[in-house]
Amino acid sequence: MIIQRISRFLSDFDNLMPLFAAACAVIAALAIISLPFAYYDDQLYPKSIDEKSPLDPYDRGGPPFSRAEIRLQYPNNSPTAGYVTAYLTPFSWFLANTTLHTGTTIVAHPGGILDEILYNTRGLDTVVETAILFIAFAIGSYIFRKGSR
Amino acid sequence: MTTAGGTPLFLLEFGDIVISFTPYTTSLFILALVFTLLVIASRPERQLDIAFGTDAYMTKEISLSEMRFRRFMAIACGLASMGAVVTGDLFDFCLFTALVGICNVGIVAAVKSRHVQNAAYQYGLVALAATVLLFGGSAMVAATTGTLSLPILATGTLPAVPLAVKAFIVIGVMGEGMAPFYAAKAEMFRAPGAPYVIMCSLSSLLIFLRVIEVVVQL
Repeated sequence: MIIQRISRFLSDFDNLMPLFAAACAVIAALAIISLPFAYYDDQLYPKSIDEKSPLDPYDRGGPPFSRAEIRLQYPNNSPTAGYVTAYLTPFSWFLANTTLHTGTTIVAHPGGILDEILYNTRGLDTVVETAILFIAFAIGSYIFRKGSR
Repeated sequence: MTTAGGTPLFLLEFGDIVISFTPYTTSLFILALVFTLLVIASRPERQLDIAFGTDAYMTKEISLSEMRFRRFMAIACGLASMGAVVTGDLFDFCLFTALVGICNVGIVAAVKSRHVQNAAYQYGLVALAATVLLFGGSAMVAATTGTLSLPILATGTLPAVPLAVKAFIVIGVMGEGMAPFYAAKAEMFRAPGAPYVIMCSLSSLLIFLRVIEVVVQL
């Protein structure tokens, strides 16, 4: 019986990772076949790059202590949007004024450049970067365990 | 504003993340809430091993600290599933789903048994790998439609999300703790500590029901 064989295969949890990897590979192949995806120009969270700015690529525009013009899905829910996250801490402000590399550092203090990153990408890039790091650890631990058996 | 889950009864507005209580999401939310309260209130069981044909049986001793940690993880899992079923933002949904996956691994990885921990390790690898698909999918939704808000996506005025992207989100949620990848969980259910393990399957069920609604209206 085919169902018996499938359930016997699934009952061994060591087969789980290969199965999931195969499913991912199939879906990735499907995604590659259906390329290109059309980029929708009217983005809610637009991104513009000003290479001259010290805050590049995370410059939202506008002086940090006044209201910046940012776009929102529901503007009526956020009357104070554009004030708080446009704030740079003194250290970020110092970096931005003296170097051109604020955008290349992860200055992770409240109101710092991390907030700018999270605004501009809605957090997607940081999460994806972290996920890739986690995957690297996962592969590393898998290989380590394989070797110790 | 009618979504696949019905007309919202109540909208809770957190800036751009609008939490909508439609009849569908409300019933899922209440289910998650009730089970979280049960986990908080219930007393853990001791597992008994009975030898067939004899009167012999053994009780497994489980330390208090282990139980405390697993209860914490089960409550966190309940909160994450509550968030995942009501949220009206795709990225937020992915975050809560990833949190559900982490909590599920946490509930079982606390068990001090080699077999259970091996199963939890395999499951953790799958859950980790699934986050890439999950967040990759939501990023592609943002790129192809320009927004992440589920009520706006449900209006149908935006360009359709490609099928492969929907598949990304679905397989991402599957990896975070669901049906075909359930085999590891069957091993986990052997783990002592009854009321907490049930949170794994309940949260999987809830996010499974929710992701159907999400993908249908993309």
